[in-house]
Amino acid sequence: MKRVMLSAATRLFLFQASINHERLQGLGMASAVEPLLRDLDGGPAGKAYRAAMGRAAGFFNTHPYLAGFAVGAVAKAEHQGLPEQQVDRLRTALKGPLGSLGDRLIWAGALPATAAIGLILLTVTHPLIAVGGFLLLFNAVHLTLRWWGLGAGWRAGVKVTEALRHPVLQAGLKTAGPVAALMIGVAIPVVAEWLTEGLDWSERWGTAGVALVTVVVMRWLAPTVGAARLGMLALAAMLILAWVW
Amino acid sequence: MELTTIGWLLLWGTAVGLDLATVAQVMVARPLVAASVAGWIVGDVQTGIIVGAVLELFALEVLPFGAARYPDYGVGAVSAVATAAGAPGMLGIGVGVAVGLVVAYLGEIAIQLVRQQTTMDVKRRREAIDSGDVHTITRAHLRGIRRDAQRALGLAGLGLLIATVVRAAPPVTVRGAVLLSAVAMGVGLGTTVLSGVRIARHARGGWVWLAAGLVVGTAWVVVQ
Repeated sequence: MKRVMLSAATRLFLFQASINHERLQGLGMASAVEPLLRDLDGGPAGKAYRAAMGRAAGFFNTHPYLAGFAVGAVAKAEHQGLPEQQVDRLRTALKGPLGSLGDRLIWAGALPATAAIGLILLTVTHPLIAVGGFLLLFNAVHLTLRWWGLGAGWRAGVKVTEALRHPVLQAGLKTAGPVAALMIGVAIPVVAEWLTEGLDWSERWGTAGVALVTVVVMRWLAPTVGAARLGMLALAAMLILAWVW
Repeated sequence: MELTTIGWLLLWGTAVGLDLATVAQVMVARPLVAASVAGWIVGDVQTGIIVGAVLELFALEVLPFGAARYPDYGVGAVSAVATAAGAPGMLGIGVGVAVGLVVAYLGEIAIQLVRQQTTMDVKRRREAIDSGDVHTITRAHLRGIRRDAQRALGLAGLGLLIATVVRAAPPVTVRGAVLLSAVAMGVGLGTTVLSGVRIARHARGGWVWLAAGLVVGTAWVVVQ
């Protein structure tokens, strides 16, 4: 079983490889769950296996790091021989909560928090420690979630939502946002000072002015413009000004 | 730039492009990592970390919820470093970041094209997939990786081409290059402030934590 779980866990790293507008992560789900379905009645040539694979490849969308919960739970449900409708209901029921949990825990928590820590470290230590520290911190959370989620889903089956109420996960959910806010707060002045130390005072004030304008534009005037597009516009405007000047 | 260096940059660009969503997502695609390694490849780590830090400020804005669209900052960061490398002080940062943002934005468009192609691929094989044919499912899945690898390689190649052109004919004077760097940093820092606000708004006690962080960070700067 351990070998099969390892195979499924490895495939979780390719969960979004074939993301598409029709099924989103459906094929990734089918690919990851496949090793766990091989010992269904009749094996890979059997009807149960093919039917389970067909269901697994249907529309699915959730947070990639927490997909293991769904993969494990769906595989267990198939092994328990639950009716097709019940397996479909389980898949549907897991998409939203896992997605929401992952968004809050990772995208709005662990990722900005560790990236901000990496930026702060960059200003005070060797770049290797900063980059390595960021990768280590972030992936400690990431890899734990991937591996633990798969096992928890497999053990819990249709009761997988109970695994989501695990105290460590809930504690992580409560602290991820505040830690991210704290770290970004620390990073803003520290990184600003570090980046602009080669500039004179007028250029520093100019940088602060541009930052203020960016906040006003992206918060109130054009909230959907996005940083990359605004950055391109600002730099293009600056280039034109420089030429004219 | 030597051919070996170009080869390593293309390889690294492809790897970070794949890491964005398709393979692993261990975050080597973050500009902080992608640019630092690119800096090491071109032999200018200092430029790599500064460009990486500025682009990381931009990337902090991205919260890739659901099937959201977002720029490919990883390949952008590699192109930005290829542009800025070797320039003294702040001179290459603004121009590099400008190239990085353009490449990142083109990457966002290219991702949509790849997903459209995968959608068509999946639609053509709908019957076999729905019937649970494992070979069809596996092949369609693996073609997704190949497609994204081609996208990332092409984008990295385009980024290096733009970098070569910009390095051969710098678009600004020395003074303009410094001002461009200041503008790039300003937009990045403003973006980070907004990212902090957005996170604080949704976290319990988020405003207090953000304010506490700003106080600690400011005190740190003053003491140093």
